[in-house]
Amino acid sequence: MLILSRKPGESIVIDGHIRVKVMRLEGDVVKLGIEAPVTVPVHRQEVYEEIQRSNQQALTKQSSPLPKLAGAVKPSTAAKPPVSPAKKMNLSKP
Amino acid sequence: MKCAESIELETPAAPAGHPVRLPMGLLGFEQIKDYLLVANPGEEPFAWLRVEDNAALAFVVIDPFVVLPDYNPDIPPADVEFLGLKNANDALLLSIVTVHGTSQATVNLKGPVVINRHTHTAKQVIITNAAQYSVQHPLPVADNVA
Repeated sequence: MLILSRKPGESIVIDGHIRVKVMRLEGDVVKLGIEAPVTVPVHRQEVYEEIQRSNQQALTKQSSPLPKLAGAVKPSTAAKPPVSPAKKMNLSKP
Repeated sequence: MKCAESIELETPAAPAGHPVRLPMGLLGFEQIKDYLLVANPGEEPFAWLRVEDNAALAFVVIDPFVVLPDYNPDIPPADVEFLGLKNANDALLLSIVTVHGTSQATVNLKGPVVINRHTHTAKQVIITNAAQYSVQHPLPVADNVA
């Protein structure tokens, strides 16, 4: 791992187009500012780990019983496949 | 307005299910890339994302808009490009369900599986507004299982 020392206000540049700037220190918290093209996803590592753990927990046998849903969730009618188009999804254009 | 009804993948349902390819796998299962989307009659609103070469392994999936009608995920531009989506109708969204015993089930709303309905290519996407949603959104499970 490359280790660099930076002071608040200083930055590093990754691959010529991603800039990570140390904004300020607040006790044991470092505030980072990240400038990256919209095509570069930036997430806290915990989000990846959380979803990984969730996937691992979710893996099941196809013969497993499915939960019965209470009235609050209206199951699609039998005529409707369980999947509807993502009508409210927002596609961010690159 | 017919947008809400055009539901199926373009290929007619084979009895075994729709093939879905995740070139990057699911997070934590990067090596497994080929799945079948299986919807069994009587199991609505659930479906199965089954590992293609291991029928015993599967994920329970659900349409997140059934769980949360106000669900409003932002799909990052890199993923839109990766999946070749031109508009929202090109995509199917599925959320992975975790069944915790018989009385509790949760849905992952932070990382839905987005499928291009035309190419059947899919990716587990971390939505841009993931902070607004839970990875363990509770499903209202009936108390008394008949």
